[in-house]
Amino acid sequence: MKRMTVRGPLGIWFACLAPTLAGLAVLAVALEARGAPAKPAKQLVNIADTRTLPPGLARWIADVYNTSHWEFGLLVVVVMAAMGLILGAGFDRLVAKLGIDLGRLEHHE
Amino acid sequence: MDYFTVYLPIAGMPFNVLLLLLIGFTVGVCGGFFGIGGAWIVTPALNIFGFPMPYAIGTDLAHMGGKSIVSTMRHGKFGNVDLKLGFSMIIGTTVGIELGAQLVMVLERAGLAESVIRKAYIVFLALIGSYVLYDYISHTRRKTKTAETGASGGESVAARLQRIKVPPMVHFKTSGITCSLWLPILVGLTTGIVAAVLGVGGGFIRMPALIYLIGCPTLVAVGTDLFEVMITGAYGSFTYAVKGRVELIAAMWMLLGAAVGAQMGTVAVKYVRGYAIRLLFASTIFIACASVVLKQLKLQLASSITILAAGIVISTVIIWWLVKGILAERAAQRRRATGTAV
Repeated sequence: MKRMTVRGPLGIWFACLAPTLAGLAVLAVALEARGAPAKPAKQLVNIADTRTLPPGLARWIADVYNTSHWEFGLLVVVVMAAMGLILGAGFDRLVAKLGIDLGRLEHHE
Repeated sequence: MDYFTVYLPIAGMPFNVLLLLLIGFTVGVCGGFFGIGGAWIVTPALNIFGFPMPYAIGTDLAHMGGKSIVSTMRHGKFGNVDLKLGFSMIIGTTVGIELGAQLVMVLERAGLAESVIRKAYIVFLALIGSYVLYDYISHTRRKTKTAETGASGGESVAARLQRIKVPPMVHFKTSGITCSLWLPILVGLTTGIVAAVLGVGGGFIRMPALIYLIGCPTLVAVGTDLFEVMITGAYGSFTYAVKGRVELIAAMWMLLGAAVGAQMGTVAVKYVRGYAIRLLFASTIFIACASVVLKQLKLQLASSITILAAGIVISTVIIWWLVKGILAERAAQRRRATGTAV
């Protein structure tokens, strides 16, 4: 089995880079630990303003958001997954129609 | 331009649809080609155009889940997704993400989170980029010295790890490797911790880890990593949405652009050799690293513009390879058809 070797100027540069960067990281953390004050988190409002929204998709999404964030969470996952599947399948057909061979690939390194 | 403006009800702001499509398309091309989520492009891009940061992260995660489905489906048909390996890694990744999140909480309570994480990010990106570049250069040198090719430096590290026979031993058919189940679990755990601490999807770390630590061929690493991104994207978007930080309308528009880009990026891997992907990947990591350095120097605008411009340039290179590959394939098909006719 071949062992990984580090030779030549590039190898020396690489061998020096890792400990230098690691050292800098430790130094940075140590310097930070000496005197960075904690910042309080900002309070954000979690309500969508629907007063000026006309009826439609945006209004419906905003209503779901205002009703329950858990329902909104599920809606996000379902919509993204459904769109991903539909668009994936659709574009797959389109690419195949362009005459590009979409069979299995040989792995060339 | 008002014609292309949509109102985003959750973030409470108007936004240009063309910009959302462009951002989505760019990250789709890069994501499909490298097997990464692309949070490093999307989050600063949305932020620079006026999205508040929490919404930028949540919206990015949401579209990332959908976009990864598109890329994973395509890579799956190419035979590049090792599902068994992906599921094995998920165990470690999930635990790792939770451990990393706890570590971030500790750092946050100490008031150290932001700058420490950013510095750690710079170090990690520089190290990974250097290693991938070093591996590419040493591979090219070996190739010119001897006719015997294909044995990469990374393989020897992976082969050494594969020799550790801790039961249960598992064979991963698609990757063509046999190793202890604990190897992908531990790699998933480590990359999960690092990904959670750095606040990224983890593709930047997981893709090289799959190649150099587990021993996957480059294309299988890209496909399997996309499968992982799909799972983490779905989980991440759900948690951010429950916290009220996902702008669904924006995510939908971005996904539309990303689906086209992802398809192009994924098909492009067909025309590029594994090591060429690694070279472009190394360059991408260095640009991402430079962008974080600029951010650390408080040059926010320069940092965001750097990453956005880099994303556009890299996706242009990938599309160029794709077009070149398709034209070459067509020419070969014509030659074959002419030869058969003669």
